[in-house]
Amino acid sequence: MVVQILPTRPWRLLFLQSLKAKTFIYLKTFILFVALVQLKEVTKEYEKVPILQGVNINIEEGDVYGIIGESGSGKTTLLNMITGFLQPTDGSVLYQMDVTGPARDLSVDLHKVKKQIGFTPQHNSFYPQLTVKENLFHFGKLYKVPANTLVTNVKNLLTFTRLFEHRNKLADHLSEGMRRRLDIACSLIHKPRILVLDEPTADLDTNLQREILSLLQQANKQGVTIVIASHHLDSVEEICNKVAIVNKGNVFCHGLIDDIKKPFLKENVTITLKPGGNKDQVLQLIRRLPVEKIVDKGATLVVYPKDIQQTVSGLLQLIKEQNLYLNDMDVRKPSLKEIFEMITKK
Amino acid sequence: MRALLLLTLKNLKLLVRAKASALIVVFAPLLIILILGLSYNTSAPYGLNIGVYSTSFTADVESFITTLQHDEFKIIKYDSMDKCVNDIKLGFIHTCISVPESLAIESNVQKEIVFHLDPSKINLVYMIQETLKSKFNLKAQQLSQDLTQNILTQLSTAKTTIGDKKGLLQTAKDKNTAVSSQTDTIVSTLSSLDLGVSESTYDLAVISDTGSKVSTALDKVREAKTAFEGLNVSSGDTAVLTAALDEAESKLKSANNFINGTDAGTIRSLVAILEADLTSLKSKLTSASTALGTASTDLGTAKGSLNEGVTAIDDVLSSLNTLQTNLESQKVTDASTISAPLITKIEKVGPEGTYLNYMFPALLVLVVMFTSLLLGTTLVMMEKNSPAFLRNYFLPLNKVTFIMATYLTTVLLMVTQIFIILGVSIFFLKDSVGSLPYMILILLLASSVFTFLGMGLGYLFRSEETGVLASISLGSIMLFLSGVILPLESVSPLLRSITFFNPFVLAEKLIREVFIFHTAWSGLWVDLLTLFGYMVVLFLVILIAETLLHKHLVHRFLKHHHRLHRENDKKDTGKV
Repeated sequence: MVVQILPTRPWRLLFLQSLKAKTFIYLKTFILFVALVQLKEVTKEYEKVPILQGVNINIEEGDVYGIIGESGSGKTTLLNMITGFLQPTDGSVLYQMDVTGPARDLSVDLHKVKKQIGFTPQHNSFYPQLTVKENLFHFGKLYKVPANTLVTNVKNLLTFTRLFEHRNKLADHLSEGMRRRLDIACSLIHKPRILVLDEPTADLDTNLQREILSLLQQANKQGVTIVIASHHLDSVEEICNKVAIVNKGNVFCHGLIDDIKKPFLKENVTITLKPGGNKDQVLQLIRRLPVEKIVDKGATLVVYPKDIQQTVSGLLQLIKEQNLYLNDMDVRKPSLKEIFEMITKK
Repeated sequence: MRALLLLTLKNLKLLVRAKASALIVVFAPLLIILILGLSYNTSAPYGLNIGVYSTSFTADVESFITTLQHDEFKIIKYDSMDKCVNDIKLGFIHTCISVPESLAIESNVQKEIVFHLDPSKINLVYMIQETLKSKFNLKAQQLSQDLTQNILTQLSTAKTTIGDKKGLLQTAKDKNTAVSSQTDTIVSTLSSLDLGVSESTYDLAVISDTGSKVSTALDKVREAKTAFEGLNVSSGDTAVLTAALDEAESKLKSANNFINGTDAGTIRSLVAILEADLTSLKSKLTSASTALGTASTDLGTAKGSLNEGVTAIDDVLSSLNTLQTNLESQKVTDASTISAPLITKIEKVGPEGTYLNYMFPALLVLVVMFTSLLLGTTLVMMEKNSPAFLRNYFLPLNKVTFIMATYLTTVLLMVTQIFIILGVSIFFLKDSVGSLPYMILILLLASSVFTFLGMGLGYLFRSEETGVLASISLGSIMLFLSGVILPLESVSPLLRSITFFNPFVLAEKLIREVFIFHTAWSGLWVDLLTLFGYMVVLFLVILIAETLLHKHLVHRFLKHHHRLHRENDKKDTGKV
């Protein structure tokens, strides 16, 4: 179920602004290549020790942007600079909040920019002694969301985060998954343009992780740009369209995931044989094909073809003709995790 | 043993490295000692401001003032009793002493010195009373000494005069003794005079007879003679005549013998006896005359002595008169007046009340102070340590709103508490209902100051425990230096002057003046303004602190949680 989170402004104004904004954003994003958030040569030092160096990132409207890195790599520092908690030692963080106006430097216009940011930190960030509904109303009112809109927003968010039944429970009495959902709901109550999340799936089991990711995808579909810092690379790969890999204070690479993967594509075919079966026969058939190398791992054979398409189609043809039986045949690209491991091992 | 040492060292390291703990454990005792040291590092026993009122500041009054000034009392002279008393109510002076313009004791009436004291300062009033009483006792003793000295001088003069005049009395005594002796002599002399007359009886009839006979004989002879001579009578006749004459002659002879004879019973013998008696009498009279002469001389001497005695006695009498006059000039004769020439009377400037009345302002401010301090600190700490702290950063609100929200929360709670306390107090302190609105305003002002102070501490300390501890410590210090427990007058002058700016002191003073003395606002505006000034300054300080610290707090908050998550990550498997 997709539940619309209402914007905080009257619909007419919103429509006009939205139209105008979308036009300019598309213009800027796709023609002029002006991002919603731009990090330009951002450097951060603590006591003259560099934590981040020369970071250049563009986060565009509608992106789900993942910042990944090892613990201590600087990804939280990067996130804190995007939210304005930290100011860069050098460089600038620019927000293109007003489509007609110039980009705003976060260090200068923090007060104007920050109300367009929703932030969900690593820990829960609400009042545990208030109920779920009270928390949402509290933050909504402080964000000066009009009363009617706020009522609808709260209702929608409670449904959206599946907390409606728990709306009158004290936040402290919620389960960890519910708390995380409440935290995200609190961040979305004023419908920010950008939602920044620091490790949203940390300390959660797989099901809860999926719940949260699904929630974020739905929010993104409703126009919220999402920035996630996480070391759950599978999750990041699942939800993000763009990533920045941070390693030892440097952004090793950033951009669309597919683009990032390209340099690391080393396609191979993994064949899992039937136990006690026809290993030699299979090996003879594979050697007829254009392959560079065959690695025998016992129950599995890893085949490195010269041309993946030709090899795979030839292999399938031969298996069909010889009526061979295989347990499994896997043709795949390296995962983000593998790429990350490759990068960090370098 | 080694383990014990290691654990102890570890504990010490942890204490020193935890800044708040180190601050409290290591520096708090030093701070307390410093404050106490500064407080009581004085040898001056009293720091009292004393108002002296007199209709005229004569030498006596000035002398009295000098006595007080010797003890470092600050003396303020007043020419109006009302102003003097009013200044006690306003707390400018501790007591007002009404001194008579002359302390000279001129009659048996004691001089009265009136103390006006503020009874609400119950920990000070007795000290002032006792301290000043001792001063007055000294003055009274001095006056008593003067009076006694005066009497002793009179006695000494009497003694000297008596000593001087004693010689005169001795002289008078000697003279009188001499007179007595002379009188004795005269008495003796006069006693020795023999004025006794012979008891012999003289037969005067014999003399009469004899005289008669002689007379008769004489007559007869005369007649015979006359007749003889007249007659020419012969011898015959002559014989008769001759016989008559012869008879006459015989009788005359017999008379002659009687008169001239030596025999007893003759006139001669009688005459001899008379002659002897007369001789004896003459002798006696001579002796008497001599005795009288001697007595006369002695009496003359005695008169002289008596005159001298009279003169001496006149002199002594004169001296005694002088002494009497002098003694009569001593008008103070009443023993109680001499022993206590000055009496003190104590008058209270406020209405009589129970200890609750007097303690009520301090209790009120105490409650407000601790509650506001603790609420201020706790609320800031709660916000700082709240999980929602970070989210608040993104709210489109300025810092003043957050500060004011904390302040308003405290004030609302305080208003509730104040209303409850004052509501309950109406049952005990019915007379003070009229002053309650003013008290509420002052308490709100005080509460604001203490709330901002508490909030300041909240920003300063990291953990709630240390913040609360700091609030309690600050409250205790303010209470300690407020004069509620120990009189401020006993602390060093420097610190005393500082403590007058203690918000607790200001608030307590204001409440006391409104509650006990019903002082008008016009008399309180300086203290009110000071409290208000504190409030504004503290608000600005907190605003600046919030501005400066907020980033730092957010940073610390993030760092703390980030560290926690990293630790969790390390435990987790299957992650990068």
